[in-house]
Amino acid sequence: MSKKQVFTLALNGKEVEVLAPSGATLLDVLRDKLSLRAAKRGCNQGVCGACTVMIDDVPVRSCLTMAGACEGRCITTLEGYADDTVMRELQEAMIASGGVQCGFCTSGVLITARNLIAENPIARNDEIRSALSGNLCRCTGYVRIVEAVAKAAKEVAP
Amino acid sequence: MSLDLDIPAGIAVGLSIPKLENREKVTGRAEFIDDLYRSGMLHAAILGSPYPHARILSYDVAEALEAPGVVGVLTGDDVPASRMGAFIKDEHALAKGKVLYLGEPVAALAAETLEQARAAVNLIRVKYEELPAVLSPEEGLVDDAPILHEHLDDYLKVFDTGSKGNLCSRTELSEGDVDTAWDACALIVEDEFTTAPQAHVAMEPCGALADVDAQGRVTLWSSNQSVFRVQANVCESLDLPMSKLRSLTPRVGGGFGNKMESHIQPLTVALALKTGRPVKCILTREEDFEIVRARHPFKIRMKTGVDSQGKILARDCEVLVDCGAFADDSPGVMGYALLMAGGPYRIPNMRARGQLVYTNKLRFGAYRGFGNPQVTFAGEQQIDQIARQLNIDPIEIRRRNILKEGDRWFAGPKIASNGLGRCIDAIEEASSWASCPSSKTPLGKRRGRGLALTAHISGLLGTGAIVRMLEDGTISLNTGATDIGQGSDTVLAQICAETLKIPINMVSVSSPDTDGSPYNWGTTASRVTYTTGRAVAGAAREVVRQIMEHASEILDVPIENLELRNGGRVAAKGANEDLPFAAISGRAHWAKGGPIVGSHTLVFEEPTHDPKRAIALGLPFPRIGVFSFAATLVDIEIDEVTGQTQVTEAWSAMDVGRAINPRLVEVQIEGGFVQGMGFALYEEMIWDGARLANPSLMDYKIPTSADAPPIHSIIIEDPEPDGPFGAKGAGEIGLNAVPASIANAVNACCYGVSKALPLSSERVLARILEDEDAS
Amino acid sequence: MNFVVSPKSVDEAVNFLVEHPEARPMSGGASLVAMKNARLIDASHFVSLANIDGLRGIGRVGDSLRIGGMTRHSDIATCDLLKGDLEMIRLAAGQIANSVIRNMGTMGGAIGNADPAADYLPVLACADGEVEITGPDGVRRLPVLDYVLDWYETALELGEIVTAVFLPSPKEARSVYRKLARTPGDYATASVACCAVDQGVRVAVGACGPRPLRSREAEATLAGKMHDVDAIAEFGQALRELADPLDDVRGSSQYRLQLIPRMVSAAIADVMEPV
Repeated sequence: MSKKQVFTLALNGKEVEVLAPSGATLLDVLRDKLSLRAAKRGCNQGVCGACTVMIDDVPVRSCLTMAGACEGRCITTLEGYADDTVMRELQEAMIASGGVQCGFCTSGVLITARNLIAENPIARNDEIRSALSGNLCRCTGYVRIVEAVAKAAKEVAP
Repeated sequence: MSLDLDIPAGIAVGLSIPKLENREKVTGRAEFIDDLYRSGMLHAAILGSPYPHARILSYDVAEALEAPGVVGVLTGDDVPASRMGAFIKDEHALAKGKVLYLGEPVAALAAETLEQARAAVNLIRVKYEELPAVLSPEEGLVDDAPILHEHLDDYLKVFDTGSKGNLCSRTELSEGDVDTAWDACALIVEDEFTTAPQAHVAMEPCGALADVDAQGRVTLWSSNQSVFRVQANVCESLDLPMSKLRSLTPRVGGGFGNKMESHIQPLTVALALKTGRPVKCILTREEDFEIVRARHPFKIRMKTGVDSQGKILARDCEVLVDCGAFADDSPGVMGYALLMAGGPYRIPNMRARGQLVYTNKLRFGAYRGFGNPQVTFAGEQQIDQIARQLNIDPIEIRRRNILKEGDRWFAGPKIASNGLGRCIDAIEEASSWASCPSSKTPLGKRRGRGLALTAHISGLLGTGAIVRMLEDGTISLNTGATDIGQGSDTVLAQICAETLKIPINMVSVSSPDTDGSPYNWGTTASRVTYTTGRAVAGAAREVVRQIMEHASEILDVPIENLELRNGGRVAAKGANEDLPFAAISGRAHWAKGGPIVGSHTLVFEEPTHDPKRAIALGLPFPRIGVFSFAATLVDIEIDEVTGQTQVTEAWSAMDVGRAINPRLVEVQIEGGFVQGMGFALYEEMIWDGARLANPSLMDYKIPTSADAPPIHSIIIEDPEPDGPFGAKGAGEIGLNAVPASIANAVNACCYGVSKALPLSSERVLARILEDEDAS
Repeated sequence: MNFVVSPKSVDEAVNFLVEHPEARPMSGGASLVAMKNARLIDASHFVSLANIDGLRGIGRVGDSLRIGGMTRHSDIATCDLLKGDLEMIRLAAGQIANSVIRNMGTMGGAIGNADPAADYLPVLACADGEVEITGPDGVRRLPVLDYVLDWYETALELGEIVTAVFLPSPKEARSVYRKLARTPGDYATASVACCAVDQGVRVAVGACGPRPLRSREAEATLAGKMHDVDAIAEFGQALRELADPLDDVRGSSQYRLQLIPRMVSAAIADVMEPV
């Protein structure tokens, strides 16, 4: 018998309350309770990266984060970056470069990439490849993803 | 017939237009199957067989039905005895009477929440009588082997399979007289090669959502590569008339052959019918590894003979292929591998034959390349071996042997366009092959370079397109071709837009829906751009014809004096005044002629087999053709301490006839390269007895951004006369030659031949140790 | 149930674990939640250590360096204090999984599992690290090689958690971590940690048995012979003799046995190389 509890989350700049099973992960809550479905369930083991979101300014796996461990932490999903200029540059670059194919990995890639170029706008290709090594993509071969991130980085560099 | 080649492109065709749905994907708004919800929806969980081979004796579902939230349980007793299958109808919707692989779905249930479903599914009790298992093709062919499909003789088969015992199918193709040709050869090489099973690992696991309306009609969304194959498989296995099932497509998170035939759609529909409520079933990543399909492991014996100039006189290829528990696309894969076993070369005496054997493992099935990567791995190494022994440059020896335009492919198909020579030129130049990079190899490393050639078909089976002009003159395009992320919606819209001379934003592409879309066999076999593209061009031309008829009457000008103008307009040649499509459409809708609809359907008709040239036995596909070509070259570096091999740079040139969207062709080259690299270096599904030992992303590794190399993608265009604007396929050919080119690079710096895939660090170290021992 | 509780102190956490034998301590959560998702465990509670002061961070304590059990791999991978003969720890941390997992996983969590292919075990064994364990009976320390008992088995008793790892202060000497993995971030197929010491080296081998391999005896025999190729080869063979690897999906036991002397020689060459 699973018990439910109320989780209070600081999510995309707002406080939300949600009722979910006590063993729920953040990914479960985002998708099943809050209709925030940009984060995807590709493996539920933290390997593929499709579930990546930001918590307290670092990218983490929402599938490996217990909802119950999110109290007092600041969560941002792809949806929360709708008005973010860095994310917009990245999105435009990805649209144009060919770095989006099936799109299933895209949300996770964007979260990790945005964090990288926000911290390190002069990231070299090898640094981009290294930072993205935890976001698996089966479609693109990564070439156009790296190209898009490099391009966006140049655009946002001060 | 080809009018397209005469229309100068530039409005859409030839432009790297960003895919039409990209914005939706980068904002997280794309809806994949797991993002869809229906009110009252139940969640499914699947119970897998604990045995690789067993009779099912009984079920006890009482405890499961009592579990919290459970609404319905499904067993083999709930599904008809009918069978589905692409070539041999050997598979039920759910295991019935027998189980044939460990993990095979044997029961399922639906509950209010996913948690409840997963908690309850193990309460379904099944009694089995275990049977001895067959775990290799060799075991399956032994005289008194346990038989998997006891009613094999009764199964419907779409071609002469020669099925018997555990032999699922056999195929043989030959030209000339291989057996006597060896005597004339100055040099013969012969070896046995093996390749390992590869998992597709699309980032989106398989899923389906089925709903039943008040009339009992089923609506089914699923992650798919063909709504029509889904419809056919579900209806055949559940005894439903096809008119009673509507198959639809959400965004698809990747498909490389795993989603072409059905996966869990039949059991999901059966659960929805049983419970009377919508049911969603999404596979876990583990289930996605264990119960869908995978790339066939091949055993290949290949023998190639040449004259003293390195011209190929004969090739003999024999394959033994593990089918897994169900035939699925396997007969086609083996047949295709044999068809491609000669590579893109002129070989006067050639024989290719194979046996496909049922085993108690997961079914093997369609996977990008469809048997071609495996035989290319063998054949291209032999070309290099011969080059080395005759002291001929590996590029030069290939130039001496490649097929030319006007030649016929092995067994008969015509080659109407062939840019392979230019592909070779392109990688030779781009990689500076002749001068070879001069940077010094670091201590403890070895560096090598290798190349391989390949070809792949684009024309296969049936397709259609409907182009409608809406009241305001904009266009609706419906082809039934599932876009799996590769961009077919965009490419087909470009073909349509170019033909009508309109900007692409005037075209909307319908989502594949068996209720409204014309039949399309599927997004597979690299066929959509060529085959469906032809239908789109044909349908759009039909719309042009109707536009012209209207315009001629409106303007009182003979049709031959009219021309289309950019932007959706038609006018008399030389005149200023023009008519917008909206005016034409208004007249059609309200006054004369009726709404403007153009449609075109076709089925690929060119025969595979020319009986005047070749002998064919058990050929699974009577009509196949239209060849794209590619040349792939890699630089590798081997760590001598561990044997670990990395690709440091790659070049791949691909003749696609005409690049409708160059950027999308490049991404096919790059994505295909990296998927092929994984297959070549470390991807391997490992069976520990009957159990798949690595059904997780922790244990089965695919390439990451950190080990994928820089890739130079080069597009070559040798227009295919009846391709849309000259285009032919690009989807698989970027992968085919990758394992072979990597093997050739390894062979360039380690003694011997690479007999097995993957070229794991363990295997390469063994080669290095041999070298160390020898010296 | 998997109900998350967040105690504010180590004592609170320990007491909770003792009172709820079905509860599990959770540090980064990476391994634990993955197992829950796979339905391999079903704890009554996950006792999160995230809100406990004093468990995060790296700092000097007397003659030692202390890495708090809740310190993230990303922080260990970028910590300047881990230099010289402790640099191998920083290097190992930087090769765990990928940048995102390194934001979540912790030292305590990683060694709590004692996964034989985990990156910290050989470097900690090589560095003569000690594991600080806090439980209902107080605080104790164990050398790493006494903390790891067998395949996935540690010396932790009910209610005990890893609260820190202690290392001797860094000395100016080269250290390296060589890892063979199928793809970047995979668990090690085999790994070697090596640091230079006066006249010799310390070496530990990972992923080739239930516990890291280390032989002080063989190290002593090698001392003073660092330019003797045969002596180094013998040393590698001695470690190979200690190995007890299994066949697994990353490689066969035979392959690992081949690798050990080769990777050991290469690691020694790395640290002996003039800068």
